[in-house]
Amino acid sequence: MKAKEYTFDASYQPQVRTKTDTSRIMLDVIIALVPAMAFAVYQFGFKVLALLAISVASAVFFEWGYRKLMKKPGSINDLSACVTGILLVLCLPVDAPLWMPVIGTFFAIVIVKQLYGGIGKNFVNPALAGRAFLFFSWTATMTSWAVPKALGGVSVAADAVTMATPLSILKEGGDIAAQGYDYLDMFLGFMPGSIGEISALALLIGGAYLLIRKVINWRIPVAFIGTVAVLTFIFPRNGYANLDWMLYNLLSGGLLLGAFFMATDYSSSPVTLNGQLLFGFGCGALTVLIRYFGGFPEGVSFAILIMNLCAWAIDKGTRGRQFGVTKEDLKAAKKAAKEAKA
Amino acid sequence: MPYKFRGGVHPDYMKAPNEPVVVVTPPPQVVIPMAQHIGAPCQPIVKVGDYVTMGQKIGDNPAPVSAPVHSPVSGKVIAIEPRPHPLGDMIMAIVIENDYQDTPCTDLAPLTEEQLKDPEAILARLREAGIVGMGGAMFPTAFKIRGGLGKVDTLIINGAECEPYLNGDHWTMKLHPEELLKGIELARIASGLDKAYYGIEKNKMDAIELLNSKNPAQYGVEIVPEEVKYPQGAEKMQIKAITNREVKPGGLPAGVGCNVVSTQTAYAIYKACYLGIPCYERILTVGGSAVNKPYNLQCRIGTPFRYIVEQCGGFVKTPKKIVLGGPMMGLIATNIDAVNIKGTAGILFFTEEEDRNVENPTCIRCGKCITVCPMGLEPVYMYAYFKKGDFENMKKYHILDCFECGSCSYNCPGRMPLTHSFKTAKLLFAAKAAEEKARAETAAKEAEKK
Repeated sequence: MKAKEYTFDASYQPQVRTKTDTSRIMLDVIIALVPAMAFAVYQFGFKVLALLAISVASAVFFEWGYRKLMKKPGSINDLSACVTGILLVLCLPVDAPLWMPVIGTFFAIVIVKQLYGGIGKNFVNPALAGRAFLFFSWTATMTSWAVPKALGGVSVAADAVTMATPLSILKEGGDIAAQGYDYLDMFLGFMPGSIGEISALALLIGGAYLLIRKVINWRIPVAFIGTVAVLTFIFPRNGYANLDWMLYNLLSGGLLLGAFFMATDYSSSPVTLNGQLLFGFGCGALTVLIRYFGGFPEGVSFAILIMNLCAWAIDKGTRGRQFGVTKEDLKAAKKAAKEAKA
Repeated sequence: MPYKFRGGVHPDYMKAPNEPVVVVTPPPQVVIPMAQHIGAPCQPIVKVGDYVTMGQKIGDNPAPVSAPVHSPVSGKVIAIEPRPHPLGDMIMAIVIENDYQDTPCTDLAPLTEEQLKDPEAILARLREAGIVGMGGAMFPTAFKIRGGLGKVDTLIINGAECEPYLNGDHWTMKLHPEELLKGIELARIASGLDKAYYGIEKNKMDAIELLNSKNPAQYGVEIVPEEVKYPQGAEKMQIKAITNREVKPGGLPAGVGCNVVSTQTAYAIYKACYLGIPCYERILTVGGSAVNKPYNLQCRIGTPFRYIVEQCGGFVKTPKKIVLGGPMMGLIATNIDAVNIKGTAGILFFTEEEDRNVENPTCIRCGKCITVCPMGLEPVYMYAYFKKGDFENMKKYHILDCFECGSCSYNCPGRMPLTHSFKTAKLLFAAKAAEEKARAETAAKEAEKK
């Protein structure tokens, strides 16, 4: 081959890139959610699959349709819409009607995500915002919890038997031990609750996968869960022992789902490393405050939504140490600026 | 024990050419650009029709920041005219027709025993032999060492070679360990120091062991095996790894008492002082998926890329870009008729295969650029302010302190053009500063008139 005929591109550095791209990251999130989804199907039956299919299909459809309508480049290949669709279902109760995720994903994808410019631009977590929208529109449906298979329940039917979640029992001062499930059951997921939140084990497996794949780092989940653990351990309520109260609080509700999969949402959480710690602390503290003093037994989703709104401000206030700049340098610079003003 | 720096990435090594260095027969014609260093370009000191010998000085400039150029072959000067420079543009160059006699030039005699211990004599020789930073920066070495006298207490030799593909330095270590150590000793003597540190990444254990077996202590050299992480070979990272000192933003290595010299520069110093051979040859890596057989070549300066490719069996795929240096920080050449110069550590011919850019780069705010930035900056915000044209905030987010290592762009899953944008931003800042200066000057002149 003669070299003469070739033309060469002027390209920009660097000339190589890592293999991991956006769709690979989103695929990893989906993989990490497989254990939770599988356990939900086992526990609540095939209705979960129907909800998931409808939710993912509608989320992708809205993403595609909006971009098409607005003549913007297509973005369904990045799989982020699939993740939103899955996460929305995971925080619904299994008795939610099949049309519900359609409305939820419309709100999540179109209003929360695309109106602000699509992936990376939304300032609150789309799936959580979609859930919040459904929660306030159909509160009764969103707070009735089918009895899971393990506790002898028959869910899915219109007149399904429902039971209280551990969190509402805790809130009302009831006795969890009398409900027919112990710590191990709660850890494995044999208790009532939202579709994807019940099994701590499945969520921990997924979270570990995300950490190993470096999709997320430890800061937000550890700060979030750690804060809840410390606060609930120090301030037990309703006559519970410290440790019991802490463990019940950690194992019930959407804490693990929220800490690993929702609070770590890239576009609505801080990007600075210290900011991520602060964000996790905030989520944990707000979760405990809402659980203790709010009108509803669960506070994870609202805690995250509130902290989402602070993410950008946190970023600005928690910038990392620049190479070559010591604390003394910063102090000196501050002093100089003050003197210049005076 | 080397210190660690924060951030950094681990690109695939891609250091394929694992056979000994191939010595390239020089081409029938060599093209010697007059600018092969940072500073004032050289003026030709020969005429068309002159006969030059191998190693004869053919261009020089008396300016302090400059380095002469020498003929890599013996033969006749057939043209002095602008020719394509590897970094773009047409630059004045001397074209020499090779007579394949390699008649050596005797202008530079090997230094005597006493001269080899005299810093002044060594520095004068480095200047005369046209030695510049051969890692790619091409800063005149004599000027660098002289500028550090009295300020620098640590001399560091850079053997990290953290860029993928490149392994010319590795081969220099393996082929010429003693010469290399002698070269480092000379740089150390010229700097007026008792000790020099040679930082080498741990992926070159064979070279580290070989160098250690040659008793580096007798040359006043300590080998420091370093963590394998890009950009370990960046000047600031080398200094951090060896001394735990951090160069201040906007500062120079000499500001923290360090000078960094690259491996092949040290070898060139040896050749200039012990053998009297000026800088007209180097080892470079040829690679990339377009090339038939990737090689490490020992190659004269002024060899056209086209000729170099032919030595590697030509192209097997249609090349899309020519990268000079490594793929992370390397610059792009667009003309295959350009030639290799003193700072060309590698020539990579890439096809679409290496390319992972996308049509619609989208930031997903994952913050992976922040975790890898060795300078502790926030590329995601630097880019946002760059897009807005917000100069004040660009400065506040330290866009000027980015040294363009490319780690953020490398790690970006959304394939954002981060490094490229920061480079552009720095040019904009420079243009703005020049404009403001010009405006201030005109204002001052007008005020004078009044």
